[in-house]
Amino acid sequence: MNDIDPRTKLIQVLILSTLALIYNKLSLLSLILLAAIVIALLNRINLLSILIRLKRLVKMIILIALIQSLLTKTGNPIFRIGNFTLLTDYGLIKSLEFILRLGIIIVSAAIITTSSSREIIQGLIQWHCPYEIAFMVSVAIRFLPIFKEEMTDMITAIQLRGIDLHKVKFNKKIQVYKYILTPITINSVIKAKELAAAMEMRGFRAYPQRTSYMVLKMQAFDYIIIGLSIAAAFLFFTFQ
Amino acid sequence: MNNIDINNISYEYHRGRQIFNNFSLQLKNGETTFLTGCNGCGKTTPTKLIMGIIKPTSGEIKIFGKRADSLSLGSMGEIIGYVFQYPERQLFSSSVMDELTFPLIFKGYNKIETFEKAKDLLKIFDLEKVKNSYPSLLSYGEKRRLAIASVLMVVPKYLILDEPTASLDNHRIDALSDVLIELKNRKIGMLIISHNKTFIEKHKDRVIKLEGGQIYE
Repeated sequence: MNDIDPRTKLIQVLILSTLALIYNKLSLLSLILLAAIVIALLNRINLLSILIRLKRLVKMIILIALIQSLLTKTGNPIFRIGNFTLLTDYGLIKSLEFILRLGIIIVSAAIITTSSSREIIQGLIQWHCPYEIAFMVSVAIRFLPIFKEEMTDMITAIQLRGIDLHKVKFNKKIQVYKYILTPITINSVIKAKELAAAMEMRGFRAYPQRTSYMVLKMQAFDYIIIGLSIAAAFLFFTFQ
Repeated sequence: MNNIDINNISYEYHRGRQIFNNFSLQLKNGETTFLTGCNGCGKTTPTKLIMGIIKPTSGEIKIFGKRADSLSLGSMGEIIGYVFQYPERQLFSSSVMDELTFPLIFKGYNKIETFEKAKDLLKIFDLEKVKNSYPSLLSYGEKRRLAIASVLMVVPKYLILDEPTASLDNHRIDALSDVLIELKNRKIGMLIISHNKTFIEKHKDRVIKLEGGQIYE
């Protein structure tokens, strides 16, 4: 299924994320997540390796959900210490909803990553999205790993100057991260300016009509998948 | 005694491109070793492996008798001074002066002594005029000099310099040479990656060439 058109995947992801935002019942969100997982598996995505790669984000999501459940006071108490209600059924349901919703969004993002950023941008252009906007999206996607690498390099450089981030206290660690925030922002602005200059020099927007080396063509299979996805979403919407 | 022992290490990049297979290298106390080789042959990789920035797939690296994988990047940085191939990647401060002083002040060193040391290095590397500038806005040569100066804020037990003379003019190469001679007199070992023949001739104790993942003396 990796050969399907990126626009087909975009439609699937659009449907999944819209449903995740519309509904807030645990059972329905679980069903949507299940559907997202099935689509991801059909796209031969290794969800386990993605979970491992995103373990910090997963930990943060669980932590936020835990805080949310502990701070929600409405509903029937499940766990109390003296007069203090620590956990209610409503708080627990809300935090589970939050986890499921973000799970759907993460799996949807994983589905999109089976197409290259170039293919996705071409899909957007062929959907008559203005080239400038599509190009901005493409630049943002391409630059994300570069910024990540830059951040990693800076943290490595700081450690190689003898600051052991594993040993310093949490507040000191925050101080280090705060310290590198300004240089990272400045570097980003410099990179953006250099990129803009390079684009101007290569005649970006010199002609109103652009041709493209890559042209995407929807196959019958794509139309079947889109049809099935819309039908499934409609059925879900009608019979939920 | 060897400062650094690289024993039978193998390393490959994610795409399965093997750079080293059973690679070994011993770097001795007080010795200046130059590592040469063509572009893209993997000269920077052993330095990153030594520093623990990347990990070998097999084999062992020992730094002053300790296994490298038992040392954190922070501990490694206290033993070995490392100047990156691309200096802009190791500059993390908002001003040149901060770049020199922040790690030491953060670790609780004496402020007055730290600033005095920084001023000395600014003078040696001709960076006094730009001491309040953002490191990102410096010229490439200035960035390179700043990267070297920042590593020398603390005298390391060993020094690794990845193409330190790249983009430096002759006058600045001479200033760097003077610093290296002083470090050598203090018996500090160095591993330097360079293509500059005059510079190599001036400082070499040993020259090794890297080719096809193997070294040739």
